[in-house]
Amino acid sequence: MTEADLSVDLAGIALKNPLVLASGTAGYGLEMASLIDVSRLGAIILKSVTEEPCSGNAEPRIWETTGGLLNSIGLENIGMDALAQEVLPRLSDLGVPLFASIAGETVRAFARLAARLESAGVLSALEVNISCPNVEKGGMQFGSDTGATTAVVMAVHENTGLPLFAKLSAAHAEIARIAEAAAQAGAAGLSLINTIPGMAIDPATRRPRLGAISGGLSGPAIKPIALKAVWDCYSATGLPIIGGGGIFDEYDVVEFMLAGATAVSVGTSTFQDPDRPLEILEGLPVALERAGASSPRELVGAMKI
Amino acid sequence: MAEAPSATKGILCTGTLLDREEVAGGIHLLEFSLRALQGVLPLMPRPGQFYQVKCGDGPEHMLRRPLSAHGTDGTDDEVRIQFLVEVVGWGTGRLCTLEPGESVSLLGPLGNGFAIGKGDGKNLLVAGGIGIAPLYFLAREMEKSSIKYDMLAGFKSGDRYYRPLDDLSGGVEVYTEDGTAGELGVVSAAVPGYLERGYDAVYTCGPEAMMLSVAEKCDGAVVTCQVSLDSRMACGIGVCRGCVKEGTGGRRLCICTDGPVFDSHEVLWRDGTSASISNNI
Repeated sequence: MTEADLSVDLAGIALKNPLVLASGTAGYGLEMASLIDVSRLGAIILKSVTEEPCSGNAEPRIWETTGGLLNSIGLENIGMDALAQEVLPRLSDLGVPLFASIAGETVRAFARLAARLESAGVLSALEVNISCPNVEKGGMQFGSDTGATTAVVMAVHENTGLPLFAKLSAAHAEIARIAEAAAQAGAAGLSLINTIPGMAIDPATRRPRLGAISGGLSGPAIKPIALKAVWDCYSATGLPIIGGGGIFDEYDVVEFMLAGATAVSVGTSTFQDPDRPLEILEGLPVALERAGASSPRELVGAMKI
Repeated sequence: MAEAPSATKGILCTGTLLDREEVAGGIHLLEFSLRALQGVLPLMPRPGQFYQVKCGDGPEHMLRRPLSAHGTDGTDDEVRIQFLVEVVGWGTGRLCTLEPGESVSLLGPLGNGFAIGKGDGKNLLVAGGIGIAPLYFLAREMEKSSIKYDMLAGFKSGDRYYRPLDDLSGGVEVYTEDGTAGELGVVSAAVPGYLERGYDAVYTCGPEAMMLSVAEKCDGAVVTCQVSLDSRMACGIGVCRGCVKEGTGGRRLCICTDGPVFDSHEVLWRDGTSASISNNI
């Protein structure tokens, strides 16, 4: 069988296919690489990193819901210096474009993160996480305000030559306005969507299921929300979009691309099957054909209305 | 204490169910035959290691369930794994309706497993409820190596009593909370009396409050205590940080890759009221 050309151009970054491992569910890529051939993927977005190491939230941190997963990890990570010095050099052999995801508590912290990580030399792009629901400082408070979004994206843009993707939250009705602000401030693209704030309670003990009381919901349950966010932001900005939220199979990929995504991120589904992204990749040519397309590129934003 | 084994990198493989039997009330013994997906024969598990078991194919349930290995044997071209599964929710319920010939995806063996002391030492195994699953496996492995052990096993009631315990060659004493089998009482209460007889190591698995109680009694008797922690898990391979628990000395214990077995002194215990974390999986 000849391999179909599934390549896409994501804001000038050549991806061999649109399938990207989402931030947070693939760690720093090395563990996944011991289970699946990650070189077959379009890209990997590394777990969000902060300036200093971060120990995250109290346990329990995860709770399964119908069609979804609540998490309150709280950005536990090794910090930017350890990532840049100890981990990134080991990732260059993975044979796949790497995006770092940065999460600062302040505008200046975002700028320092961008500069520090770019200097490591192995990254293709940065995802600017201004939408994590699980941290008190930074996180969603940046991404819920056009002014703060502008400030963060400009600061990162001025401190790196890497293309940057603003990761936004669909928990705000005005996500398209936030996306416009990111575009005007220099974002090369958007990454949509982060988890949606949510919670669960144990009726027997009356206690929250998560140690942090609330968390972020991911998985198939949030797919319709993610699709609308992609469509709204694509319509408003035309920026290249990494779309994700509940992608489970190759037909979900087609839906996200029709809504305006150029690439798609698979996260929670990798918990059910670590090789799900590769299964999706194998099924994608047939899904494209059924959608009447001969390449992924034809589908981007091609929803008929 | 014997040197702790390090975690293995599990592989994805397909397990075909050979047999399933309800061996106690709501508790099923499942035996799978494993073949690798890419021609690599899976490792055989050590006692205390676990598998991430996929319970369904649809988008309704995204997480695998972490299950301790209960036993293993194998040949040059097949690995057999046993699991002892208590029906407590959707995932375990689904596993306990599988019929022979059906297959599930397994990721494992994962985690470190128990550090088994060598030589003439005498070991005490203390199990609470479904915590018997890895400790029965440990007892069987100790028998193979002619290591001496005794086991204390606690159950809610006699209908949960796990009959294969009768076949162990070590000393086994059973406790039930309602007295319907063995002695009346909780298993941890029997530990001090046993420790007076002189043991070199204690291994425990069960509800967290029970393990804390056992660990405290071991401290009093200056005996090392290995505890096998339970947690909800998403990835099972250390990437998602979902099963991280605060440890002593500011350490963060990632249960799936640093554990699930820890020296009791590594664990920062919560107070008893919030201790049981193995509900509704």
